[in-house]
This record gives sequence, structure tokens and C-alpha cells, in this order.
Amino acid sequence: MDSYDAPELTLRQSAFSRPEGICATPLQKRLESVRKQTSSVPTPPRRRIPQCPQVQEDVDPQKVAFLLHKQWTLYSLTPLYKFSYTNLKEYSRLLSAFIVAEKQKGLAVEVGEDLNIKVIFSILLGVKGTQRDPEAFLIQILSKSQFPSENREGKVLWTGWFCCVFGDNLLETVLEDFTCLPLFLANGSESNTAIIRTWFQKTFDCYFSPLAINAFNLSWMAAMWTACKMDHYVAATEFLWSVPCNPQSLNISYAIHPEDAKALWDSVHKTPGEVTQEEVDLFMDCLGSHFHRHFKIHLSATRLVCVSTSVASAHTDGKIKILCHKYLIGVLAYLTELAIFQIE
Amino acid sequence: MDETVAEFIKRTILKIPISEMMTVLKAWNFLPENQLQTINFRQRKESVIQHLLLLCEEKCASINDAALLDIVCTQVHRHKKIWDVFRMSKEPGDDVDLFDMNQFKSSFKKVLQRALKNVTVSFRETEENEVWIRVAWGTHYTKPQQYKPTYVVYYPQTPYVFTSSRLTRNITLLGQALTIASKHHEIVKMDLRSRYLDSLKAIAFQQYNQVFEIHNSTLPLQERRLALDSRIIHENRVEKERVQRITQESFGDYPQPQLEFAQYKLETKFKSDVNGGILAERKEPLRCLIKFSSPHLLDALKSLAPAGIADAPLSPLLTCIPKKKMNYFKIRDK
Repeated sequence: MDSYDAPELTLRQSAFSRPEGICATPLQKRLESVRKQTSSVPTPPRRRIPQCPQVQEDVDPQKVAFLLHKQWTLYSLTPLYKFSYTNLKEYSRLLSAFIVAEKQKGLAVEVGEDLNIKVIFSILLGVKGTQRDPEAFLIQILSKSQFPSENREGKVLWTGWFCCVFGDNLLETVLEDFTCLPLFLANGSESNTAIIRTWFQKTFDCYFSPLAINAFNLSWMAAMWTACKMDHYVAATEFLWSVPCNPQSLNISYAIHPEDAKALWDSVHKTPGEVTQEEVDLFMDCLGSHFHRHFKIHLSATRLVCVSTSVASAHTDGKIKILCHKYLIGVLAYLTELAIFQIE
Repeated sequence: MDETVAEFIKRTILKIPISEMMTVLKAWNFLPENQLQTINFRQRKESVIQHLLLLCEEKCASINDAALLDIVCTQVHRHKKIWDVFRMSKEPGDDVDLFDMNQFKSSFKKVLQRALKNVTVSFRETEENEVWIRVAWGTHYTKPQQYKPTYVVYYPQTPYVFTSSRLTRNITLLGQALTIASKHHEIVKMDLRSRYLDSLKAIAFQQYNQVFEIHNSTLPLQERRLALDSRIIHENRVEKERVQRITQESFGDYPQPQLEFAQYKLETKFKSDVNGGILAERKEPLRCLIKFSSPHLLDALKSLAPAGIADAPLSPLLTCIPKKKMNYFKIRDK
């Protein structure tokens, strides 16, 4: 069904006017139709198990090594208006000036904070799913070296990156002036993140929204990441549940040896190359029933807050840590999907 | 006054909040009351410390005086340490000797001094028949490290000893000193650990379940609540009362001792009637490590069944914690 005929004209018109949240952009219309489709057709969702991606040749393991083993706070981001990859140096300059100005205003000054900073925009090659995904890019705030004679870069104070991995499946109709990088990851002080967000919102008319991860998606992540083939495991498969009891809080940490978790998954898993809803449910049920057998506590009545595997770990507050280079793209693909569904 | 002593006293006092200083200094009982009255506690902390150091200098404070101050501070902030529990035992047939505090102290000190030569040992007895021991460890060639001491709390006439768990190297030596000095044969570490020393005491001595049975125990608490408004009909009333009664039986009617975690190392096979066939052929058990944590673990566990989150009766693995005096468990299939 082609729902894009009528809005075609309005499309061109709105390209010259800044889009507000009120009028539906083609992106929004597309998301609507996808949502309607999935809700009316009751087939259970299936997802690919993260395999090594096709564009792996472009991913330089050394270049993306710094993305691993760091905790990133997640945001979803609406498309950027009139963003250009050729203007990165200009953006570096403008953002740098903006940060200094904001901090001097006294709005976000921490005691002893160094205002001698440098901002660098750079492209992250290979951090994408298909060729149609826009290039990922990275921003770093560095403190300028105190001794100008030294050639070394200063200390990294804050890092943030924007990416879109296999996003084009859901973002088919994209206007020319828009760049869609729905996933934003930040590491560093909250005040710096806030300043960056403000600048982007002003400059590219976009909107950031913290990306929380609910228990349903955490379970999917746990199952998918347990399913990944690993040469060796660096961590146990661990779940953290928060129990809503009064007046004292109770947290339950449930760690299972990664080989045993994999054995359980292999026993549950039936369809090769795909992960189904039933399999995820069964996997979680088995863990729950093993727990119940010993403790008589129903984990299903509690809240899943964090999952951690050798591939990656994720927290419900929208925090992620990626531990394995091989599955970086797979993890980002799932997060991109979550980000896109959050954008309205 | 030795420089190291002055520095040690200074660092110890720095950790005390101004509001508590008077109490601590009085308990220390080194500086006389009239001198303490001359200190202005409203000025900046650095000035207070300077004044105190001067007074200590005048009185020629020694390392032992400083060590006693450290004990007092630790007693006030005992929750800042994590405590391990040890149990000593006598040989069957050993005589029950009368306990002599002075003999215990000198014997304990002798064992450590003979082995290490450089060690600072200090004792502080309290009225509740407990003795706090502070040991700063050195070696034959190095002076005692005053900033990483071990604290031991011992109750004479009982087999229980509580230690602040910073021990790695000298644990065997400490065990020897304790058993020899207290005329025991053996010392064993229990699987019990917590920040709350008083709760550990209550569990070790099984004193947590002594409650005056004054209230009307025939009518369960739940029913009393349920009977408040006759217009409200409660579903599953019978079931709720059953749960309440069973919870009461498992946990008792008294305040629970305070623990902050329980840890279970499980090596058990996966068995499930519902998810039949899963891992059916697997001989190996699932290796799991489960940790429950809460500001007040036993209270939280007690509330689970009434809240519908757990079955009643709750698993004995959880309810046995105070009775078995354990919060670390290793569970295997029989």
C-alpha cells in the first residue's frame, strides 16, 4: 500500500520549513504503518542472531576498540536537519565555542573545571549495517595539553557517538536534507552531555530522548547474546532483579556459568539462524523455574533491571557496555531498532 | 610525642565528625574532663585538631594511647567494617577453665610478639563482657602498619570471635594466638559475614528470638487488619491467613537480625516438569551464583510471601539463615 502519494506535495513544502512535532513527517507516517502492520498481524517477531556483519572489512578493530569496555548512556535521536559530513571541522569549532560560552555563563560549571578544551568531530568508519546506513560519527571533548610544546592530545573528557545500524529497514523514506542517526551514545559527565544535546537541538532541529530498556527487551538481549558463538567467555551470564517489597528493597543477582547458559539456550533453541519469542520466553522461564525450585520465589513477579553477558551488558536505565568486538554491529543493530521505535 | 604518633592521632581525629567528638574523647578517657571543656568545637576542624594535638603532646601520648583512640572510633562506627565470624572449640574432655582476663591478654600478646617481633596489640574491655582487640601488624624488620589494623571482638566463656575482615596473611597466626590464649583447641571460620556486628552477635548467640509474648497471639495480625471494615470483602481470605501464619512460623514474631546479603553457590541439575525435555540428557549441573542483597535482608524476605512474590512456606534455604548461623551457602545435589 502506497501511503505516500498524498503527502508528496506537502513533503516538498515541509522540506523548506522546519518540521515541528505537530505535522506528520513521512518518517512518522512510515513508522505508523509499520506499527500498524505488526500489531494487526499476530506473527511473533523474529530476529537474526547477530552474526559477523557484511561490512566487517571496514571495521578496524583497533579503531573501534575504544568503544568497548566503556559504559554508554543511550538516547534516541530524531533526524538531523541539514547536517553535512563535509562540515565537521566547522562543527568542531562552533561546538567548542558553545561549550566554553555555556560554562562561562556559570550554568554548568564544576569547581576547578578546565575551560581549555578542544572538540573533535570524526567519522567512525564501518560502524553501520548496510551501505545505505549513514556514516557514524564521533565527538570527543579533550582538555588541551597544559604544555603547548607537547604534541600529545589532551585527556579525553567526554565522548559521544551517533550511529545507525540496519536502520534503513525502518527508515525507508528519508528526506534529502535529513540525516538519520537514531542512536546516540554518551560517556562522560552529565553536564557535558546536556550541553552537547542543547547545541545539536539548536543547530539541527532534532530531539534527544533517553532510551530506557524495558524487561521485555532486556530478556531478548540476554537470549540473543547467550546465543552468540564465543571462542572464550570473559564473564558469567548475569541477571539483576529488583524486588518490589516494602519497606526494604531487595535485589537478586543471578549469575550462571556462561557454558551452562549456552547449554540451556542450545536445548531451548529450535530454529537455526533466528531467535523467536517463544524461545526467549522459554529460556527465561527455565531460569525462573530453576530459581523457584530452590528458593520458592517467582522471578516473574519482580523487575528485571540488568543483564550481562560476555558479549555486552545492558541496564534498564539505558546504559550499555559492549565487551566483544565481534558482535559490536549486532548489538548496535538491536539498539538502533529500539531507538527508532521510541522516536515518534 | 613521636611524630608518627602525632600523625596517627591527627588522622584518627580527622575521621570523627565534630558532633561525635566530645563523646569519643570522653570514652577515650585520656584527656581529663576539665581540659576537654576548654576546647571550642565550633571553630574550624583544623583548629580543633591542633588544640587537641597540643593537649596530647603535653600529656605525652604514646602509640598505645593512640591505638585505644582508634578502637573507640571503630566501636562507634562498627558498621563501616565487614565482620567475619569464627568459632573455637575445645577438645572433648578438656576441663572448663576459669577465664582469667589478664592471663588471656598477656598470652595473646606473647604469641604475636614471638612470631612477628613488631606488633602493636591493644585491648579495650566493655561492660557487656566483651573485649575488643586491635592488632597493628609489622614484621621482624618493619614497624607495625598502624593504618591497616585488624579488630577482634571476643566474648570470653563463649567460643565466638568476630574479626574485621581485612586479614589475608596473618590469619593463621591470629587464630593461633586466640586459641592458645583462650585455651581452645581449634578455630574454624563460619560462613557468616555482615557489617552489623550486633546482629552477628544475636545470631551467634541465638538471642534474636527472645521476645516477650505479651500480645494476643491467638488472633493473627492479618485478620485483625482484615476485620477493620466489614464493608470490604477480601478475596482469598483463607489463603492470605494461611500465608501469614506460615510466615509467622518461619520467621517468628520478633525483630529479625539485620544482615545485608546472603550468597548461594549452586551446583544442581536442571529439573523441570513443566519445561519437559530441556537439558534432560545433561549430566552436569548448572553452576549458579545467587546473591540476595538488601538494607535488611531478613525483613525483605519475610515480606515476600505475603506480597505474593514467593510461595509460603518460603524455601528453607532462606529461612534457615539465622538458625544455621550462615549467609554463605554451597548447595549441591544429594
